[in-house]
Amino acid sequence: MKSSALNLPRQFPRYACGWLVLVSLLFVGLTIARADAVSELASFSIFDKVDLAQLAKSDVKTAHGPPMRTSRFLAVQSCYVTPGAPAQQMEALRRWDPTRHRELKVFLHTDLPSSPSPANFEKLKNAPDNSPVRSFVAATQKLSPDLQVSKDEARKFSAGGGGGGTMPAPVATFWADVLTSRAKSFVSGGMAAQPPYDHAGPSIRASDEVNGLLREQEKIRRQFSGFLGATAIGHGAGSLRPELYWELLDVDDQGVVTLGASYNRGGAGSTYQAADVLYYASGGYYVALTLYQLWPVTVEGKPSTLVWRGDMISAASLGSLHGVERLGSESVMMKNITKAVTLFRRDSSGGR
Amino acid sequence: MKTFVPRSLVLVGCASLFFASSALAEETSNSFWPLSGEYTADATYVGEGDVERNPRKKVSDFDEIDSDIRLVLTPRIKFGVLRLGAEWERFSFGLPQGAALPNTLQSFSTIIGLDMQFSDSIIVRAETQPGLYNSGLGHLFWDNFNMPFLIGGTYIYSPDLQLVLGVSVDVERKYPVLPAVGVRWKIAPQWLLDAVLPTPRLQYELTRDVSLYAGATVRDATFRVDDEFGVSHGIPRLNHAVITYSEIRTGAGFDWKISPMVTFTGEVGYQPYRNFDFYRAEVRYHQDGGAPYGTISLHGAF
Repeated sequence: MKSSALNLPRQFPRYACGWLVLVSLLFVGLTIARADAVSELASFSIFDKVDLAQLAKSDVKTAHGPPMRTSRFLAVQSCYVTPGAPAQQMEALRRWDPTRHRELKVFLHTDLPSSPSPANFEKLKNAPDNSPVRSFVAATQKLSPDLQVSKDEARKFSAGGGGGGTMPAPVATFWADVLTSRAKSFVSGGMAAQPPYDHAGPSIRASDEVNGLLREQEKIRRQFSGFLGATAIGHGAGSLRPELYWELLDVDDQGVVTLGASYNRGGAGSTYQAADVLYYASGGYYVALTLYQLWPVTVEGKPSTLVWRGDMISAASLGSLHGVERLGSESVMMKNITKAVTLFRRDSSGGR
Repeated sequence: MKTFVPRSLVLVGCASLFFASSALAEETSNSFWPLSGEYTADATYVGEGDVERNPRKKVSDFDEIDSDIRLVLTPRIKFGVLRLGAEWERFSFGLPQGAALPNTLQSFSTIIGLDMQFSDSIIVRAETQPGLYNSGLGHLFWDNFNMPFLIGGTYIYSPDLQLVLGVSVDVERKYPVLPAVGVRWKIAPQWLLDAVLPTPRLQYELTRDVSLYAGATVRDATFRVDDEFGVSHGIPRLNHAVITYSEIRTGAGFDWKISPMVTFTGEVGYQPYRNFDFYRAEVRYHQDGGAPYGTISLHGAF
């Protein structure tokens, strides 16, 4: 090869040299940011090898979490890349309305103020007339052993009084009182202050369940320990302010009222951690927790967010599943999460 | 921000994946025993029925007792759920003197299998049952060894609907490869169509602990009779012959969940099909008269 073929300028301009250094540093910085996000993801999650460019082009990637010793626990992890910065994603997550998608089986969703009252549960009276809601009403009227309430709460139910419709007045009033009281105790004393589920059968505490879920996933617990310590998840009220809500939803063909709380906190390098806990459910499951970690990444020159999501649940009925039944349940949970994430991404990207 | 996890995840119950028995139980505590598993112990009595080889060669008025004990451990490993166990199955026939059929068909086999999750929609089972398949305890020889296996997949369309496809392979069987399809469809909260072999059923959940069902049981297995069987029954070519025994029962029954780990099943019905086929020797006895039957079973998972 002739040296002239290289066609190098004799003297490289000083300003060009400066740009080159700047661009190189920027490139190295971005590469490090990507590498940091991917290696941090690998350090605590099930996803030890992730190709961001490939992930950005594909749907959400899901996998079952590590096997847990407690048979009523189940966990699924997922990750995906989505356009936009983590702060934008966080805001989109916060604003997303699941009731717009019938397939998610959320019949009612209402945000709650920090000091909830029975009036915040007025919508219960207008619950849709369908089989899960009718089952929920019937279970309430006979104080079914499947209902997850405390003995004290059960004593307060009075079947008397009038009111027709899908949700008779005594049923709606009973649940409005239970949910108000539980939401208030969550605000003041966190999950530790929640009354147990001991109306029928052994006493179950939601805080014990969520702590058990985290204890059996040590890497995740360590990754989120600082953040979770500032929330009311698994213990007393934390320093972070929760966004509260309640829902009426369908869990395995049964209507269930549930109370939830969401938290998020920004970290170094525009990262975010977030948590969404369903700390009370009238049936179907004891507790459900979703954790999120969001990192800023650049994919094909565009600012994007790498999202890791860990879904974990404790439910009595999971304890009955063995072998392939458990695999099946994990598959369904993975499908549900994929469906929810796909709908969320479609909505948040403006696509319909 | 909303969780969206618990909507419907808990009761998929695709235990009856393919040629497998389902296990029903509530939450079980197996802290005293670190492994999970499933078991079945059942017994069936079939009343007097008839088979014939041709109009002149009939075997009439014989009854049948079937017994089956099966234990499978299902530890979780990285690749899925391992299936390790053993099974003893015995068909005992009250045959009249001179019938060219074996009084007993039985198998002692081990179970080695794996359930794997290929995606969030597909679960695959590969399972083999190496063992001795013969005509009685007095004839346990290695040339009775056989190793039938099956490969089946479940496609989880939704929590309420799963499709099953698979093949059963037995090189000693008349038709070595048998494909099968099935569907498991939760039609309504209390109704379940579990149309998967070997026990397709329509189930109705009467209470939390009691279910009623109507359906069928399909049995098909291959055995080898002993070296002297042909000579002693007047057909020398049946010495050491392979016989495929098949039967179909149709009936109704109930499952009663006695405890989280124990379910009792009772079933009665009619056996409309039975076939003894020494297919290589071209000696076949087919059903001539059906018979009523009754089954009791204890099964569960831990």
